[in-house]
Amino acid sequence: MIASLRRLFLVLALVASARAAGAAAGASDPPPDILVSRGLMRERGLSVGQIVMLSADARGAGARPFRIAGVYEPTPDPSRFTAKRLEARMHLPDLLGLTADPGEAGAVDAVGAINIGLKDPADAGAFARELAARAPAVSVVPTAAGGDEHFVIIERFHMAISVVTMIGSTAFLLALMVIRADERREIAGLLRLLGLRRRRILLQALLEGLCIATAGAVFGVMFAAATQGAVNAFFQWRYDTTLVFVRVTPAIAARCVALALPLGVMAGLLASWTLLRRPVLDLLRR
Amino acid sequence: MSAPVAIVEARGVGKVYPMPAGPVEALRDVSLTVAPGEYVAISGPSGCGKSTLLHLLGCVDTPTAGSLLFEGHPVRAMGEEERSRIRLRRIGFVFQRFYLLPMLTAWENVELVQSEAGMPAAERRARTRELLEYVGLGERAGHRPSQLSGGEMQRVAIARALANRPGLLLADEPTGELDDETGEQIGDLFDRVNADGTALVIVTHNPALAARARRRLAMRSGRLAAPSVVAGS
Repeated sequence: MIASLRRLFLVLALVASARAAGAAAGASDPPPDILVSRGLMRERGLSVGQIVMLSADARGAGARPFRIAGVYEPTPDPSRFTAKRLEARMHLPDLLGLTADPGEAGAVDAVGAINIGLKDPADAGAFARELAARAPAVSVVPTAAGGDEHFVIIERFHMAISVVTMIGSTAFLLALMVIRADERREIAGLLRLLGLRRRRILLQALLEGLCIATAGAVFGVMFAAATQGAVNAFFQWRYDTTLVFVRVTPAIAARCVALALPLGVMAGLLASWTLLRRPVLDLLRR
Repeated sequence: MSAPVAIVEARGVGKVYPMPAGPVEALRDVSLTVAPGEYVAISGPSGCGKSTLLHLLGCVDTPTAGSLLFEGHPVRAMGEEERSRIRLRRIGFVFQRFYLLPMLTAWENVELVQSEAGMPAAERRARTRELLEYVGLGERAGHRPSQLSGGEMQRVAIARALANRPGLLLADEPTGELDDETGEQIGDLFDRVNADGTALVIVTHNPALAARARRRLAMRSGRLAAPSVVAGS
């Protein structure tokens, strides 16, 4: 079994050259295999098959040889996307042997925590209860309860940005609609003078606002969908990660349209109503 | 046999506009009756209250003094919606600056007010065609105002003003932006409109146009300054 050390940020000191490591390994059994993250491979100029010395100590104490069996792409972590992912994966016994304190009896057998991935995350609660019942000394905590903590924080952050953006854009939209309505002051005055009812003019403003808001929302969604690839590509290049930064899903698109339509219509109606409340002659006066 | 009800009747009408520097009296004690089929021209210097009077006669505004009756009904007692309904169905307006809706064609400009009045589509189409031919623009129905000359735009405005068969047509300097020849053509058109039974009240600086009216009034400082001059009297 290969232990997944996604969260473990060991100081893995590559303390010797491949040749030196190979000489050291040649004296005994072949060194154990490890997987090295793409970032580490590139950073240190490593290659598959190479023998490296790893240590859990920054000064290189207790270094052991390992053979690079392959490269892997670390699972992107949104809370650490700016950090370089210089990581390695190894068999659990190798990790314990590398990190355990030799002076402490039984340290090699000690495991503080272990992550278990379930095929169906919905089973996490039942699995935790069953495990807790079988091994009372073990503290079992579902890590995915209520969603990933990092994503919850990012979701809240996005929500806050969205709210501020919405308030700002609504004020901007209202100002635009008022300006647009005022540009048509004379036309509104003429229509009132000819005897068109306020209700009819407002209905027209409503339909117009609906069309403009629909067109704006569709354009916004299409623009976001069209540019999400470029945005992702830029930030993935910038931070050397496979993390997806922007994803326009049907649910997000539907939410955008659902928010944009009533806002656009309300802004149009409000702007038109402020105009139509004025006397006809005021509207026609230059 | 009783006399026909006047289209519009102003009795001692006044209009005061509240202004920051103090109230401005635009009209003082104006009395005027326009009978069905009449042709009235009102002249006078700028700022004498001609347009204000026209707006009152057209139920666009209400007087601050005196009484104004439209077809026997007191205008001051009417709400804004009621006055809108009268403007739509009983009054036609023609302006110096034409005031056509720029995004609509000549046909659509004429049809719009009929649509608002609830006229059936087939009747609307027939009426629009009839009116555009009446003003000599049958071939320009699909043109927008920007594709028409000043005279043509004013003809479309007259067709629109007649669309709902109003009893009264009010025109405010209708030849003010036209050359003499085109102004003459518009004058001829007004003559025909009046001959067909529509009462006309025209505010104008154009003596030639005023001379076509059977009754000519002069205004000065918010008052009707001179006795009516009746053509042929």
